[in-house]
Amino acid sequence: MIAYLLNLGVFFCVNAILAVTLNLIIGYAGIFTMAHAVFFGIGAYTAAFVAMNFTSSLIVVTLAAMLAGGALSFLVALPALRVRDEYFVAASLGVQMLGVTIFSEWKAFTGGLGGVLNIPLPTIFGYEISTPTEFFILALSGLALVVLISRSLARGSFGRNLMAVRDSESAALALGKNVAVIKTLAIVLSSSLAAIAGTIYAYYLSFINVQSFTVDTSVLIMAMVIIGGAGTIYGPIVGAATLMLLPSALSYLWFLPKTEIGSIQQIIYGLAMVLLMIYRPGGMVSSGTKSAR
Amino acid sequence: MNNSQNHPQPDTDPKGSATMHSQTNTAPSKQAQLQLSGVSKRFGGLQAIDQVTIDLVPGIVTTLVGPNGAGKTTLFNTITGHIKPDSGTIVWQGKSIVGLPPWKIARLGIARTFQDLRLFTHMTVQENVLAAMETQSWLWQTGGKAVQKERAEKVAHTLEITGLADMARETANNLSYAERKFLSLARTLVSGADLWLLDEPASGLDPPSYDLFLKLLRDEVNRGITVCIIEHNLDIVVGISDKIAFLDQGRLIANGDPREVLENPELVAIYFGERKL
Repeated sequence: MIAYLLNLGVFFCVNAILAVTLNLIIGYAGIFTMAHAVFFGIGAYTAAFVAMNFTSSLIVVTLAAMLAGGALSFLVALPALRVRDEYFVAASLGVQMLGVTIFSEWKAFTGGLGGVLNIPLPTIFGYEISTPTEFFILALSGLALVVLISRSLARGSFGRNLMAVRDSESAALALGKNVAVIKTLAIVLSSSLAAIAGTIYAYYLSFINVQSFTVDTSVLIMAMVIIGGAGTIYGPIVGAATLMLLPSALSYLWFLPKTEIGSIQQIIYGLAMVLLMIYRPGGMVSSGTKSAR
Repeated sequence: MNNSQNHPQPDTDPKGSATMHSQTNTAPSKQAQLQLSGVSKRFGGLQAIDQVTIDLVPGIVTTLVGPNGAGKTTLFNTITGHIKPDSGTIVWQGKSIVGLPPWKIARLGIARTFQDLRLFTHMTVQENVLAAMETQSWLWQTGGKAVQKERAEKVAHTLEITGLADMARETANNLSYAERKFLSLARTLVSGADLWLLDEPASGLDPPSYDLFLKLLRDEVNRGITVCIIEHNLDIVVGISDKIAFLDQGRLIANGDPREVLENPELVAIYFGERKL
């Protein structure tokens, strides 16, 4: 049971990191990207590559993954500077498809559809992280770091710049804000922090393949942000917890027929989302209206 | 339409020899902060602004009037870099600003408000004003705690004089219409700009709010701020303006003393849509 909970805890932390970092773009900057899983993947593949070919040092591997995630975030930043709203959503879907194709086909780096196996365990100052408890502490520390960075940025002048761009780009420009720089920074920052989740994920499973980085993952992360509360500090964490724990909680309901539990979960999920959007459109962590953030 | 045929000439106008003019008779003022010369912009088949030449002088409130679609807001958008003119020059404090992006023009000291206000609606009143002072786009603003403190004091003072102090922590979305107008003005006040372009700043204000707005505006004008306002309400125009620039179909057809412009029957007829030049 403890092992199960620790496993759930690690996956929750990974998803929460992704939701918190996506929230910087969606919730604060108002850029609705559908390609966040690509940067999760870039982080994971880079971490695996560096760990298998150079060093398994957690710090070096994480920095390499963040660097790769940040550097390749121009894939999203470029269309974000050119198009907005539904046009950008479409463009980001294109980036997501491009990412999945590269993950599937670039066999030398990603192992193709088969993925990367036998990723070594991470080490920190020579100490090897190997037990489920240690991995949970690692994942929790990663989440805490990401939340700390996001919170301090969101509550400071950068957060105000992001919200200004989200609420009125033309007014932000008229007040002297370089909107292109602000958007690019938000995307680079969010993508490089998302790569931390990829690193933890790759190390924890010691195996990764493209299935974890598809559009389904991007949609799931977006749902976590929206359900929890876009543009709030803790909303995405609550959203991640809800979407991660709800299926597990449902599986403990003895009166649900085991053969139908998957379908019942989907029905409950769907209903919960519809009701939430009707009665709390701002998400679970909000005062209940769209205007509250 | 042939402009030379339809453009009013000073010597043919019965009353407005001082006010009616063509674009060629406006000599740039020595004191002018902003000088527009022959500025034109066309959108497809529509000539939105046509050879507009005008100077904006410090300590003077110039009001742009004209019927809907005259090109008033387009002129603002052209000055602030939101729209690039097809031709003409725009010189701010001696330097051309044509082709510069809006954020650079804003940093040179040109502030504007919008007719639809464009507040940062999900931010608090306090944050809206603070954001107007934070022009650096990086992860943090330089200057350290001393600058932060100075900004906080400036925000508090500005909210006090605009009557928004009690709403400091309220989201902009939750403000009344007049309060929103003052929040828009507060952002302009703290921007430190030398030129204010205000798009219908007084429309819809109740009398006490209008008086407060006028006082705030006059204080700033007396400090030497250059102000250009778009306004439709003629009572407000008379109360606010030192000078009126009358636009029609993109052309500047009068520019001068408010009373002379507003007493010109031809212009009044155009304004109320009764005839066109």
